[in-house]
Amino acid sequence: MKVQFSNKFEEKLVRLTLKIQRLLIYRIIQRTLLLIFPFALFGSFIKIIQTVVLGKEGFLTDIFPTLNNDFVYRQIDNITNGLYNLSLGWVSVIAIFGAAKYTAKYYHRDDQLAGITGISAYLIVDYSYSKVQPFSFHPAILGMRGLLFAIVLGMFIGWLFKISSRLAPNLIDSKATNGILERTFISLKPIIFSLIISMIFSTLINITYYSEAPGNFINSLATEYTSSNNWAQLTKTLIFSVYTIIMSFFGWSGAYSALGVEKMDILSTVNLNYALQKHTAWNAPNPFTSSTLYHAFATYGGTGCILGLIIAILIVSRDKDFQTVARWAMIPSIFNIGSGVMTGIPVLFNVIFLIPFILAPIANMLMAAVVISLHLMPPSVYPVPIGTPGPLIAFIATNGSWQALGFSVVAIAISTYIYIPFVKMAAKVKILDNLGLEEGDD
Amino acid sequence: MRTRSLRKNKNFKYLVLLAIILVLLGIPSYIWTKKNVTTLAGRYNSPMSPVIMIPGSSASANRFDDLVKIVNRKYGEHHSLLKMTVHTNDTITYSGSIRPNDERPFIVVGFENNNDGYSNIKKQAAWFNLAFNKLKQRYRFNNFNAFGHSNGGLVWTYFFENYFDNSSISVNQMLTVGTPYNFEEKNTSNHTQMLNDLIKKRDKIPEDMTYSSIAGTQLYTDDGIVPLGSVDAGKYIYEGHIKHYTLITLTGSKAQHSDMIASDQFINIFHQYIVGNNINNPGHNKTNKKVPNPQQ
Repeated sequence: MKVQFSNKFEEKLVRLTLKIQRLLIYRIIQRTLLLIFPFALFGSFIKIIQTVVLGKEGFLTDIFPTLNNDFVYRQIDNITNGLYNLSLGWVSVIAIFGAAKYTAKYYHRDDQLAGITGISAYLIVDYSYSKVQPFSFHPAILGMRGLLFAIVLGMFIGWLFKISSRLAPNLIDSKATNGILERTFISLKPIIFSLIISMIFSTLINITYYSEAPGNFINSLATEYTSSNNWAQLTKTLIFSVYTIIMSFFGWSGAYSALGVEKMDILSTVNLNYALQKHTAWNAPNPFTSSTLYHAFATYGGTGCILGLIIAILIVSRDKDFQTVARWAMIPSIFNIGSGVMTGIPVLFNVIFLIPFILAPIANMLMAAVVISLHLMPPSVYPVPIGTPGPLIAFIATNGSWQALGFSVVAIAISTYIYIPFVKMAAKVKILDNLGLEEGDD
Repeated sequence: MRTRSLRKNKNFKYLVLLAIILVLLGIPSYIWTKKNVTTLAGRYNSPMSPVIMIPGSSASANRFDDLVKIVNRKYGEHHSLLKMTVHTNDTITYSGSIRPNDERPFIVVGFENNNDGYSNIKKQAAWFNLAFNKLKQRYRFNNFNAFGHSNGGLVWTYFFENYFDNSSISVNQMLTVGTPYNFEEKNTSNHTQMLNDLIKKRDKIPEDMTYSSIAGTQLYTDDGIVPLGSVDAGKYIYEGHIKHYTLITLTGSKAQHSDMIASDQFINIFHQYIVGNNINNPGHNKTNKKVPNPQQ
């Protein structure tokens, strides 16, 4: 099977991606992401119920008659909390298991013990020295936000197994008890090393937790710094959006959250007050804030306009895996929960998708800025319930302006259009990659 | 040609499904937005809900430093502390700061003139109003908890009755310790001028507030300075008007008027009612439907 390239750029990008995909690190990341995909998908469905149906400021709770705060409601709330926290809420723990296991396996060390050591190590790192609850963890880095750290630490533990233990004996022919004991003692050294190192990490994290330094710094820049100049505003919003998008690409966290506006910045509050006084969103004093541009037009289907990717796959892709993932992840994506696609395709760490992942939201935001400054559309100033479907955010946030709805449809079409060539390229990479595997030059 | 190839695509039905879901969700949300123009503000949710504290007479803004330290240490929380002092010439000096993202910071408002007496309390309430407006303007919160020690509770009450604008900001919980609503008068049937004034204007106090008043007693009658009856007289102002009014009598080793805020029992109550009330009763944590005042 021969693969045709339509232009030089495409060929270069595909070759580069292939090269990266052959790297051991990338192989491990890919397998780890596929391992967490089912949990991420399940968790994202639960998250819909949680934020959209049950959430206090959730989309459906706001729009449809409110569920009463009765016994049944609270039970459902508790059940979904449990399910979410132990699926999408702790994907990093699963990820470190995968990363440590696959790394150890590559070096023919005891992969099971490496994986389990990884889990222990990560939970030790994440252990919170709380005075209120005796057994608790910092929840933020158990989920998607800790993914990068988990994978790196997992590979490090796998590597520790390589350098400080000898080859795992063939486990099939030694069924006797002493075989298992032997296996334990071979891996004892790396296990102890891993746990001690994670203990050091844990102590450092718990000490710095009091200052919450890095996240605070970024957040304070994103929310506190205000400027009355429109251009400065626009630049600032763009910079923080790109930062957020790139960080989510690596499974880290950014300044803006895709799931609704958690914290309104001061400029948005000023906008809202203006709109409430004049009973219109037109000519709001700060047209280029995070809510008017980023939250309204750059988060369809989660960070990076994932909805565009899903539609692109449904239209052009013939790849079975892509299609299955796209169909399953479609519903959560409507409510801006993109974790399914991020881990299933995977988009995370995938060089090919890095370009549209940044380009699509930025294109949408820039166009929205132009349309707003030409007074073709009012800026989105009213706050929106959490989990509002991406394409409806601008519509609701402008108090039902048809221009905003129209532009949202255009914006989806554009992000889909941006994703289409890259979906085709990804398919080519997959074909070439499989050919390479068959020929055995991996 | 293009549409035909698209229709042949077996994923076409998924795209149609996607569009249908969006339209189905879009129609009710359109009707809802149109219907709720006036309550759109309801979706504004301020992340910050500070605890604003007023010390008693002859105490400065540093009065609660230890209290904040103890609460942070005991419960493993990291509340930041901002202290403001309002001077007699209406200027305000600041010390400490509010950490960005701190959803429940402590703010202490002290006064340069911190003397006792009804006329001074009136003045302090006016000064507090200055500080409060500055805070509202700067941090744009739309709800808060109130704490007052001794005369601080009188300043709060006078402030609520004479300055507070209930429409743009709401007070969730108030806690006071040893607040002498009837000054040194032991007998609750003898009303001082101040108590009469406060009772007269009680309708101005926001009704959706929950108030817990702590009275300390040593030897059954007073906390060493304030008589139990004087604290109890607060019922004539609050009872039957606000949502909940509770009087708590605190006894034991640190039940003396000034020591009370270091008592373990007090710190438990303080944390439960003022600091952690959003965590302890998630069921009652309704969304606050208010927008900060646009004029500022």
